Amino acid sequence: MKRSWASLEEFQKFLDHGGIVEPVDDMPREYRQTVFDFIEMHANSELMGGLTERDWIPKAPGLRHKMSVIAKTQDEIGHAHLLYMVAADLKIKTREEMMQDLFAGKSKFHNVFHYRAKTWGDQVAIAFLVDAAALVSQQAVFKNCSYGPYKRILKRIIAEEGFHLRFGEESVLRIAEGTEVQRNMFQDSINDWWWPALQLFGPDSKPNDLLLRWHIKSERNEILRDRWIQKFVPLLQGYGFTIPDSGLRRNEEKDRWEIGPIDWKPLKQTMIMGGPDSARRISEASDSWEKTGWVREALEKVSA
Amino acid sequence: MRIYEVFLKADGKEEFRHAGSIEAPTDELALVLARENYTRRAEGTHMWVVDRENICVSEEGFIDANLNKSHRHNDGERVAEWRKSQRNKKSNG
Ligand SMILES: [Fe+2]
Ligand SMILES: [Fe+2]
Repeated sequence: MKRSWASLEEFQKFLDHGGIVEPVDDMPREYRQTVFDFIEMHANSELMGGLTERDWIPKAPGLRHKMSVIAKTQDEIGHAHLLYMVAADLKIKTREEMMQDLFAGKSKFHNVFHYRAKTWGDQVAIAFLVDAAALVSQQAVFKNCSYGPYKRILKRIIAEEGFHLRFGEESVLRIAEGTEVQRNMFQDSINDWWWPALQLFGPDSKPNDLLLRWHIKSERNEILRDRWIQKFVPLLQGYGFTIPDSGLRRNEEKDRWEIGPIDWKPLKQTMIMGGPDSARRISEASDSWEKTGWVREALEKVSA
Repeated sequence: MRIYEVFLKADGKEEFRHAGSIEAPTDELALVLARENYTRRAEGTHMWVVDRENICVSEEGFIDANLNKSHRHNDGERVAEWRKSQRNKKSNG
């Protein structure tokens, strides 16, 4: 059934009552654009995440880790696939246009993929801290998302991110039980990745945030960030590592962790493709697209 | 390239459910790509892929709620009232 709404107010009422929008609906233009931008960024991030994961297949220590990294790579690229399909159905950009915009640095992806993973410790820190941060924010979207196809596909993605998180924590455990060299390496990785992972949630939500108003997201950035902090401070400390935040303290009265001030400059840099590894990441992604062109060509040939 | 809709059915009583969509050039490749994208961890035992072009979609209003056909929905109210009155009789008498 194709629905339409006489005004933005009516559409808002529909959403406030838990209404779910489907691609055939005559949704307001602003909503279509907002939900598209959000899904496109998510899709881009999965692709960039999958590509960095792929880099670690030959370098992962041992066959067991290697196989887990292969599975994870396939999952992340799969997530990108599914999300690009959902995004393309909004009829704002084709898949091809989304790829071109990504390689031209015109569309966004998560801040964490603007940094370079230098060691296996970094890769484990990503699997543990970053996948968890992504999971926390995806769960909050999934809970109440007003756009039907996105909500449904998130269910599958979240289930698979759960595997990544378990793999991440198991790898942390192995390192924590390892040699001093290994523990030091991982401490360095936490030092490098703690703040970028924390900033994945973005700055505090503005009162007029359209994503919240239209029930695309259901929780404010600062709430999600805090949920992640409360979980990961004690977890990392429990494994014997320290958090690179001199302002971090335990508020015993409120029974919670409070962090020091956040420097948002690095996040802003990544948003304009000026992160420490932005340029290389984008050109690597573009190269891999070129190199796999023969697959698309072959598929086109069969379809003709 | 064509767009295919993917449906999965878990073993047992579950009905087929829409899982999502996939782009593929032929039916055969649609099955392969759907398997790789949607069934990596035993999400189902049966799969359908359907070219989106081949799905017949009902027009707006075609399956509206039929609110004027209350005879299709017996709410059991008459019987419930009679039972209630019988119960009242018993407890009063
Ligand atoms: Fe993912
Ligand atoms: Fe993941």
